[in-house]
Amino acid sequence: MGAKIKVVERKGKTFFEQLYLIEIFKGMAVTVGHFFRNLRDNSNLYVRHYPEVKPEITPRWRGRHRLTLHEDGSIKCVACFMCQTNCPSECIMIEAGEREDGVSEKMPVKFEIDLLECIYCGYCVEACPMDAIRMDSGVFSVTSSNRENMMIGIAELIEPPGAFNEDEYQKGVG
Amino acid sequence: MSLLDILLILLRIAFGAFVPLSFVAVLVWMERRGAGFFQDRAGPNRCHVMGFRAGGLIQNLADGVKLIFKEDVVPAHITHKFYFILAPMLVFVTALLCFAVIPFADVLVIGSKEYIMQAVPLDIGILWFLAIVGFGVYGIILAGWSSHNKYGVLGGLRAASQVISYEIPMGLALVSLLVVYGTVNMTEIAQYQGQLLFGFIPMWGVVVQPLGVIIFIIAAFAETNRTPFDLAEGESEIVAGFHVEYSSMKFALFFLGEYVAMFVSSALIVTLYFGSFQIPWFATETLLFYATEVAVAIMVGLPIGAYFFAGWIRKNNKSHYDRPNDPRRREATVYIGLLWLMVMLVEVVLLGYLVFAQNGIADRLLVMILQTGTFLIKTTMMCFVYVWVRWTLPRFRYDQLQKIGWEKLMPLALLNIFITSAVIVSFG
Repeated sequence: MGAKIKVVERKGKTFFEQLYLIEIFKGMAVTVGHFFRNLRDNSNLYVRHYPEVKPEITPRWRGRHRLTLHEDGSIKCVACFMCQTNCPSECIMIEAGEREDGVSEKMPVKFEIDLLECIYCGYCVEACPMDAIRMDSGVFSVTSSNRENMMIGIAELIEPPGAFNEDEYQKGVG
Repeated sequence: MSLLDILLILLRIAFGAFVPLSFVAVLVWMERRGAGFFQDRAGPNRCHVMGFRAGGLIQNLADGVKLIFKEDVVPAHITHKFYFILAPMLVFVTALLCFAVIPFADVLVIGSKEYIMQAVPLDIGILWFLAIVGFGVYGIILAGWSSHNKYGVLGGLRAASQVISYEIPMGLALVSLLVVYGTVNMTEIAQYQGQLLFGFIPMWGVVVQPLGVIIFIIAAFAETNRTPFDLAEGESEIVAGFHVEYSSMKFALFFLGEYVAMFVSSALIVTLYFGSFQIPWFATETLLFYATEVAVAIMVGLPIGAYFFAGWIRKNNKSHYDRPNDPRRREATVYIGLLWLMVMLVEVVLLGYLVFAQNGIADRLLVMILQTGTFLIKTTMMCFVYVWVRWTLPRFRYDQLQKIGWEKLMPLALLNIFITSAVIVSFG
């Protein structure tokens, strides 16, 4: 056998604990301590004043997608449809076209992501053989007042730069 | 009836009707900001009118507007619409009526006439309270039943089981209290508590009935449907219990009713056990005798208190992040200005009293205002205890509440009656 048995002490059976009131007063002393600490100086509150103060996010955070570019500014994506095939929520819609800049044979003429469908699972990033799609834009709050704006195309996807430096990001991927 | 009589009657009724209603706003604010602070978060502090947030009080305004403009739905499956609509009214009206017999100041003597400072100057005091409060729970049961909804019925059932658990210990706790006071008249009870025990302890109910006060407060928590006994509306298991089918102002009436009930039962606890309007060691006669000194003391003390309060506002009313030209600082400046304006107003009134109007009706009015203030401060503190307990304790199951009511509180209350009676018979 040899399994170690840890005996957990059962609380709440003594006379004073059975009276409830003493324990209740102890609990109330704890909460009122917090109350007066915060009332005296409300900078003690454990909250972030959100819309003004943004949370710090890590390189592994899966934010809004972005399409990466080569050094010369051409798009890395070769329209291989790996991400679209792999997407569990079927939110990626690619239309492939001939590539004229000589980097490879194909490129997307349309690359749309429906952010209302997307579940931010990151499978597209894992599937991509060209490291062309990433979720490191650092945008964690995507809002809009209508559905149409939630469908983003190549222009919006290229636009944000990576929010983290390359080394930090690669650590997260590895 | 002279003009003064009518004026005072109007004043008392206005006090009895509007003070609980205006306190609802304060209590909701206290509850929500208090809950925030108990849990180390901020609570509602964003709503504002022209940048003035009044510490979060403006949120109530927004809530009120929202509730008024919501659609008032009476679901089609409800067959007894009359009872469905009657229920929230019952809850609200009974809560408000209870306050009518609670004295907020000592008997005001003007000339040869005496004015009892209750909204309704009844002699039966506590009996009125017991009768009306017992009626209030019908509103909840009726709401649960007429909603024709499983959760609603369960909520109503729980309310019914609750009422049989707490009413008996509450009544018995009151019996021993009445043995001590020898009267059911609230004003006389309050006057009794102005005496001193052994010449130096204020003879408050809490001193002469230490066991009774615990029983009564526990029962009062159950009676107002507040945590830890808010099982009639257990959100986690029966959605919202009895008010699950209500929307808009009908829901708001339940909501208001709950807070009015909380205020009224705090007022009752204060009246019965914590000396009512009595300032400790300063009975009405003493206050009248030293009216000038008291006025001077207030005139000195008020600016000192206001200075510290202003410092607190200055320290806490600021943005907790970098913000150019912090508007909250400007807000604080305005609040502090208003505070000093109010202090100045009070000082001027008191100065006028000291110079022109001593030793007359003015003395008595001053004492009345002081006592009303004391009563309201004590009641607010008791309400804070309600909030404090709500954000500390989890909810009881309803068999646990019955067990506490029948097996613990009732024998204790009976024991309390025997002890009290024995002491009264042998010493009194």
